[in-house]
Amino acid sequence: MTADTERESALRPVGLRARILLAFAVGGLGLSVVLAGATMVLARGQLLETREESAAAVAVNNAVRLNNQLTPDTTFEDLPSIVDSLTSLEGSQLLVRLKTDWLLAPEFGRGDIPGVLTARIEGGQPGQIRAIVAGRPQLVIGLPLPSFDAAYYEVVDLAGVADTLGTIRIILLSAGAATTLLGAVLGWWASLRTLRPLRRVSAAAQAIAGGRLDTRLERQADPDLDALADSFNGMAEALEQRIRRDARFASEVSHELRSPLMTLTTTVGVLEARREQFSERSRTALDLLSHDLARFCRLVDDLLEISRFDAGAASLELTEINVANFVHASLHVAHLDDVSVADGLGGRPVVIDGDKRRLARVMANLLGNATHHGGGLTGVSMERDDTVVRISVEDHGPGVPAAEREQIFDRFSRGSSGGRRGGGSGAGLGLSLVWEDVRLHDGRVWVEEHADGGSGARFVIELPLPEDVLELEAT
Amino acid sequence: MMHVGTRILTVEDDERIRTAVRLALEDEGWEVEETASGEEALTAFTRAPADVVLIDIMLPGVDGFEVCRSIRRSSAVPIIMVTARADTHDVVAGLEAGADDYLTKPFAPKELSARIRALLRRYRSSETMPATMCFNQLEVSPEEGVVRLDGIEVHLTRTEFQLLVELGSHAGKVLSREDLLERVWGYDYFGDGRLVDVHVRRLRTKIEPDPGNPRFVVTVRGMGYKLQP
Repeated sequence: MTADTERESALRPVGLRARILLAFAVGGLGLSVVLAGATMVLARGQLLETREESAAAVAVNNAVRLNNQLTPDTTFEDLPSIVDSLTSLEGSQLLVRLKTDWLLAPEFGRGDIPGVLTARIEGGQPGQIRAIVAGRPQLVIGLPLPSFDAAYYEVVDLAGVADTLGTIRIILLSAGAATTLLGAVLGWWASLRTLRPLRRVSAAAQAIAGGRLDTRLERQADPDLDALADSFNGMAEALEQRIRRDARFASEVSHELRSPLMTLTTTVGVLEARREQFSERSRTALDLLSHDLARFCRLVDDLLEISRFDAGAASLELTEINVANFVHASLHVAHLDDVSVADGLGGRPVVIDGDKRRLARVMANLLGNATHHGGGLTGVSMERDDTVVRISVEDHGPGVPAAEREQIFDRFSRGSSGGRRGGGSGAGLGLSLVWEDVRLHDGRVWVEEHADGGSGARFVIELPLPEDVLELEAT
Repeated sequence: MMHVGTRILTVEDDERIRTAVRLALEDEGWEVEETASGEEALTAFTRAPADVVLIDIMLPGVDGFEVCRSIRRSSAVPIIMVTARADTHDVVAGLEAGADDYLTKPFAPKELSARIRALLRRYRSSETMPATMCFNQLEVSPEEGVVRLDGIEVHLTRTEFQLLVELGSHAGKVLSREDLLERVWGYDYFGDGRLVDVHVRRLRTKIEPDPGNPRFVVTVRGMGYKLQP
């Protein structure tokens, strides 16, 4: 891959389907992020509040009971039994200061209680604070008991809340992922729905490009899409009219040319009958006139024929054609009886359904092409396989370069070799008519190298065998 | 000259073409009567029947088909139609109207005289005809130039008659369209098979008891036609 194509592919615009799909997925994702975020914030607040409220209630209750049980004589040694009688919330631990002594919970030291809180309590104000104590999120509640120079602390573990929040987060994340996926699926479906009419448009456009000029889109009783259908049909109508007008013009021109050509042809024929009475110079002039008149007639004929193809008015006049007889007769009318014909038809008569007039023109063009521009005809071959019959015409010329093998069937194509084919006495429409005629028979025509690699071109026409023949052979 | 006395009636509205065709036909030694419209042609033909009629299909007023049909009602004279194109319905319509052969504009004088000669040959070669042939109720007598069905004479054009004689002298054998084109019209392999098809159809309407289900001239698919003895 070159740098250019790499850049191109990186910058290639994303397709409409991908964009719709992406929009739905991103929408799903955004929506779920917002909902999950809000849910998390609310749940967190709610859970913490509940936990803190119940912890504070227990703490106040405990502090009151402790205050009631303390007497001025209570010593530090009496404390554990009093503290044990207090209720404690699950996951909470109690700490009590009596004068200068501290009754500590097994996991905490004095230093674990945030200084901000102790300062507040020692100042005689109750308080609570959320902090990381011993590596865990905790709520520390403090209540001063000024009557006995004591203070009550409770450390409530908030990890349980965090666990619950974690579970909720996982659920919300999964829900978000599911929503995003659902969005993508919806997007895919929506894009299919949206693009279905576009595919119909595309199919119709292809049909028109393929020559079916009367193709139109049906209205679907959808105001949005009908506007598209209408403008498409308008375009197709305009295109069809234009093409038909062009074709009609060519056809009318050719028809108009027929009358003067008729007079010319007949008059030249009359002059030719008197050829011997003319001087040498007049005879040469007459030859030029008659030769180019014939060429002109052929050109007008070809032009008229091709305009019929363009107008879609070319039709087949099918008759049964014996391929071997046809090929030999084609050579006979071209005065090429001595050319060798390689018969690969397998000894049985092969009959196809074809338009004899058109196929005769195809053969005349190919044989004429080989004789006049291909350095001479070297051979004709016929072969068949299961479904087709092929007729090949080989010449002895320089062949056709690979790059020109398709162009050679274009109208007035002369190729790089400067009019070697299609130029000179040829009209330049011959091979394109060959192509059109063969295509009208559902066949193919192409040019290739000689099978033995020798110099020269090999034109091959391939025509389908009629189905009933195939059936007959199969039984 | 060989064809002295042969009269050809031409119908063509384009004066230049008419003159050019007359020059070419006169060069062959034929006598030419020119007409410029269908009406004129019919009047001329009634006044003095020609040996061959050459009709351009595209005529103002009474068109070529109508001229052809009118002449056919009273005469079996050889008729050549001139059409603008070979692949249109005009050809079949012209043949259905009774034309024996057709030419496509522009044609060379050589082609025209060859067609006329082929028609005249058909019209005048009764001396070399085979003996009378009988196929059940159908009797073909080349010597008399007569066809009888159940003893009643059937009026055929010379082309239809020639077609029947060719099929009859090969009774039971299939003749391909190409064979018939060559034997009856003098065409090569690339002659128009529609000539045969239309003339067979016209022949059937005259000699077959049920033209839609022929018992004399039958089609052999993929091969051609044969006369069932």
